[in-house]
Amino acid sequence: MRFVSLALKNLIRRPVRTGLTIAGVALAVAVAVSLAGFNLGYQQAIERSIDRLGFQMMIMAKGCPYEAATMMLKGGTGLLYLPSDTYDTVRSDPEIQSITPIFIAVAEKEVSGIREDSSSAFAILAGVEVQSFMEMKPWLQFETGPGFDGGRWFRQDSAEEVVMGYEAATYEQRKVGDTFLATIYPHGMPDPVLKEFRIVGIFKRTGTQDDGTVFMPIEAAQVLFNRPDQLTILGIKLKEFSGAKLQEFESRWIKLPEVQVVSLEQVKSTLVLLIGTAQVMIAAVAVIAVVVAIIGVINTILMSVYERTGEIGIMKALGAFRGDVFQLIWLETLTICVLGAISGGALALAGSRLTESAIKALIDIGIQGSIVTISWEVLAGAFVGAMVVGFFAGLYPAWRASSMLPIDAIREGIG
Amino acid sequence: MAKETLIEARGLKRYYRRGSEVVKAVDGIDLDIRSGEMVSVMGPSGSGKTTLIHLLSCLDAPTGGTLTIMGRAVGGLAEDELTKVRRGVLGFVFQNFYLLPTLNVAENVELPLLFYRQPVKRDETLEVLRRVSLEDRARHMPNQLSGGQMQRVAIARALIIRPKILIADEPTGNLDSENGEAVFELFRSLVRDRGITVLVTTHNTPLGRLADRIITLKDGRIDGDSHRDSRNSPG
Repeated sequence: MRFVSLALKNLIRRPVRTGLTIAGVALAVAVAVSLAGFNLGYQQAIERSIDRLGFQMMIMAKGCPYEAATMMLKGGTGLLYLPSDTYDTVRSDPEIQSITPIFIAVAEKEVSGIREDSSSAFAILAGVEVQSFMEMKPWLQFETGPGFDGGRWFRQDSAEEVVMGYEAATYEQRKVGDTFLATIYPHGMPDPVLKEFRIVGIFKRTGTQDDGTVFMPIEAAQVLFNRPDQLTILGIKLKEFSGAKLQEFESRWIKLPEVQVVSLEQVKSTLVLLIGTAQVMIAAVAVIAVVVAIIGVINTILMSVYERTGEIGIMKALGAFRGDVFQLIWLETLTICVLGAISGGALALAGSRLTESAIKALIDIGIQGSIVTISWEVLAGAFVGAMVVGFFAGLYPAWRASSMLPIDAIREGIG
Repeated sequence: MAKETLIEARGLKRYYRRGSEVVKAVDGIDLDIRSGEMVSVMGPSGSGKTTLIHLLSCLDAPTGGTLTIMGRAVGGLAEDELTKVRRGVLGFVFQNFYLLPTLNVAENVELPLLFYRQPVKRDETLEVLRRVSLEDRARHMPNQLSGGQMQRVAIARALIIRPKILIADEPTGNLDSENGEAVFELFRSLVRDRGITVLVTTHNTPLGRLADRIITLKDGRIDGDSHRDSRNSPG
């Protein structure tokens, strides 16, 4: 028999009490792991989404840059426009490696009849220039397989062809060759226009806002929405990407009237900060859960020590040193924390999708894709944290038990 | 042949404070316990039997006097030092058995070996259990045993570390007369066959008189100390 097996056997004396204490630790660990997973996943999702925009800088109409950036990341309305000649002016900058103009507008979908969810009645239409857009996003590929084969880009001069993002297409159960109907509200016109497009290609899933976008030639989009001389953003990639170069570029073009220059690095930092308040609140909940779990562990072990006062006295009479008793009680505490950590980690892993759905339901993240990443490092960190908590939580009960004088303990046990 | 003195007490005292009152549980006892003896400590309730046993077994510290165990003075020793004194010398049996309910019989018997850091040899455990007639109960849990059987497991647990002195505090207090007699007969056989010294407190006069030597306490002092031979000799 070893101390560990004796500790385990002592814990199963009161299986319900031990189980509840382990559950308390598991819950605290699950909250902590989920929070850490959210922190990690959110940052990764932001970096992924912003990297997948393809460009490092954006030039757009003056307004809230972060709102605009968030709109870029998740798509939305309330867009401002800048004059098209901004593109001709800016593209001459020698520091630019590539530049792409994008026109974004929102149209009302003619629903397929299969789904009539009113929240999905609108489609984000992005007018793009094929060559420069693909230079920014070389990873875009067309989906293949039944219903997707033959996918291609639209002809640049076509006003009837569109390419759909993966989710935009599958949500409407559209295939290559199908028709996409949308009601366009041209700027300044009294009547909407029902427009029929032919789907010539469907992208593979990218995990970004492109999945929910319908792409068409930029000139056609501008004409359709009656904004022939307007753009939404210019996406820019510099030849040399550094803080200094970004600042120089920004200072050169901020002089343009009604225009703002937004660095995606700044957007990244700000989006992380934006969620900071929510993270602090969730962290507070996790801290409270951990404190409650610690109190529960200490309480359980102390109760166990008091119940076994006579036994502890007997163990000392049988030859146990103070250190032996200390080790035994401390092992019981650690065992509870280890089992709680393992259970909590498993619970967090199993419930990560539910956690993600809950966070997205509660907070408008503005990010596509997974935002909870529970890595092995996160789990290991939680396990180590639980061990540290167990280490300290067990100190007082173990000291209490080991400090009992054998005769006092035996008398108390008899009493 | 002179027997070795295992425990020597001179002027042993143990006083307690109970509120404003001082209770003199043991009030100046001189005592020698020699090897190969079975000694009963008897007396009315409150006479100091249990307190004396606890002092002699180094579970409690005296308020005054001297105590020597196997030639080593134990006055003023710290708890862990007292544990070292007890180890390998003293085995304990208590009235309430104190078997760990989550360990089976064999594991309960082997418990002291865990603290002694000695390897468990299951055949030695079975040998000890055979000595107390419980070898067929090795895998039973304590709640499957009778009171007498539990007490014998406790005795086996005390014997596994091969003590020189077995100290039993009211070992038959929770047993019926038949089991009580069986326990005392076991003690006598341990003295006779293995030379273990047994020191036992008891309220039960007939059982107590089975011992080689009877020490009677009254008000914390020795009121009588008689050997079997002197009790049985005429006049």
